[in-house]
Amino acid sequence: MTRKENILHFFRNTWKHRVHVLMALPTFLIMFFFLYVPMGGLVMAFKNFNYRDGIWGSPWNGIQNFKFLTASKSIFTNMTSNTLMYYVIFTLLGTFLNVLLAICIDQLVFKKLGATLQSILIIPIFISYAAVQFLVYAFLSTDTGLINHLLGTRIRFYSEAGYWPTILTIVKMWNSVGYGSVLYMSVLAGVDMQLYEAAQIDGANKWKQIKHITIPSLIPMITVMLLLSVGNIMRSDTGLFYQVTRNSGTLVRTTQVIDSYVLNQILGSSNFGFTAAASFFQSIVGLILIIIANFVVRKIEPENALF
Amino acid sequence: MSAKRKEEKAQEKLYDLQYGVKKKKGIGQYILAVILTIYTIIVALPVVLVFISAFTDEKTLASEGFSYFPSKWSLSGFNAVLRYGHQLIVSYGVTILVTLGGTLIGLLCMSLFAYALSRRDFRLRGFLAIYAMIPMLFNGGQLSGYIVFTSMYGLKDSLWLLMLPICCTTMNIIILRTYIQNSVPEELMDSAKIDGAGEWRTFFQITLPLMKPTLAAVGFMMATTYWNDWQNALLYIDSNNKKPLQLLLVNIQKSIETLLNAGNIPASALAAMQGTIPQYSATMATVVMVVGPIIILYPFFQKYFAKGLTMGSVKG
Repeated sequence: MTRKENILHFFRNTWKHRVHVLMALPTFLIMFFFLYVPMGGLVMAFKNFNYRDGIWGSPWNGIQNFKFLTASKSIFTNMTSNTLMYYVIFTLLGTFLNVLLAICIDQLVFKKLGATLQSILIIPIFISYAAVQFLVYAFLSTDTGLINHLLGTRIRFYSEAGYWPTILTIVKMWNSVGYGSVLYMSVLAGVDMQLYEAAQIDGANKWKQIKHITIPSLIPMITVMLLLSVGNIMRSDTGLFYQVTRNSGTLVRTTQVIDSYVLNQILGSSNFGFTAAASFFQSIVGLILIIIANFVVRKIEPENALF
Repeated sequence: MSAKRKEEKAQEKLYDLQYGVKKKKGIGQYILAVILTIYTIIVALPVVLVFISAFTDEKTLASEGFSYFPSKWSLSGFNAVLRYGHQLIVSYGVTILVTLGGTLIGLLCMSLFAYALSRRDFRLRGFLAIYAMIPMLFNGGQLSGYIVFTSMYGLKDSLWLLMLPICCTTMNIIILRTYIQNSVPEELMDSAKIDGAGEWRTFFQITLPLMKPTLAAVGFMMATTYWNDWQNALLYIDSNNKKPLQLLLVNIQKSIETLLNAGNIPASALAAMQGTIPQYSATMATVVMVVGPIIILYPFFQKYFAKGLTMGSVKG
């Protein structure tokens, strides 16, 4: 088939499927206006933005905005390193706990109890961080908090930056582990029971069965979830860092991440140049990393690659 | 896939019946059960504390602090909530409207898209699949979205901004498409077409009803996202009559902050303000009102979770 024929065929096929084109149109348009246009909006990192001229009309100013990044190095490095630190902690610990919980519940012989516990464990994910921060406050408040009350101390949690990596990690794990394990549990539910029977007959004990059957069956899902998360390496759960910390200025050293910084800047409507440059950096790094990660996975185990 | 699944499930049950007696309930199982139960109780405790605080007497809370065993119970928290009740009712209305509107628009649009994507000889589908995939890998971020939506589209203070930007997501499209491909029999749709039904009718009368489990699961997750969304509301909503519940919570926290930061307020002023400044038990009562509906509805949707959300084949 020549190229011309091919193109003609393509158009004929599309015309034949015009109903399907129409069906895809609403999502296409919504995604275009609310996801794709903002991608184009990233050009404002290279512009001297003002509201009157808008994104496209504002004058270009080259890499001027990125000079801000190097000029206010301490803010930028602080929030970038915090973002990365929390990403690593949350991803490693989170994946480990998700898998551990999934295996524990899957191994439990008392199925009814397991199902009940699981449905309670999922509940925290349904509580917004705007509400979670009040829960955390009930525990950590200096005067009325449960922890200070029980210990008989007066620790000022909301002005001591040093406590917050631990606090945020606990809150995040409390919030996400129950729901995170659902995916892994559904994978485990699909594992052929005969594999376990066979292993039992061959004399494998519980540990050996977990090591050689359960964990290997989870590897593809773990890979996919890690791959997906790599693209969000520069993004954080904004609510955790903005709400749970009560956006407290004294905690910035350990709790400021790029997303919470950007949110504060937008609400304060201040220096958009710096913020735009930081946003651009955030989006591009995420894209590059997910492409690299996918490339690596493709080399090792093509089956598990995303694209 | 669904038939296969059912068969597997049946087989599993048979296995359990056959080997159930043989499965040892050794001491290890009891230890595991106890550990898991304790862990679950620890996870549930913070939520319980909120409910208890909401019913604790305000003075007791202020003097003794938050406690699981308050010395005095009271309904004053909920009474205080009723005092700013009008805003609460408006906010409930806004949140319900946004949640239902966003979820329904999203489910309908994405199901149609997923259906089109699953038509095998549709040549444009390769392009559409990539088009839907890209936003998962790359996005413009908060600032760019904010500027585009407010200064370009002029949608500041519009409820559309709470609904549309998050109603079509890559992950949900993939889940829906995978479900159509694996669990809605192609023959059924073909036979409907032979009987003279058009594409639209086939979709609405055959495909959509068969997608119920996945629609329930995806829909509930979407609804939760809408219900819990505070960030877009904080960025875009100004007027009181468009304030959703989560923004109300954020505002309450801000006003407590202002009160605390004000430092030494004269006692008489404090007494005068008691009616308007939300206090601890009132705050917790509001949290209960905001979180409650989701926790109450959740059990009804839970059975669809494992079934509808298995995105085992992310690649489709």
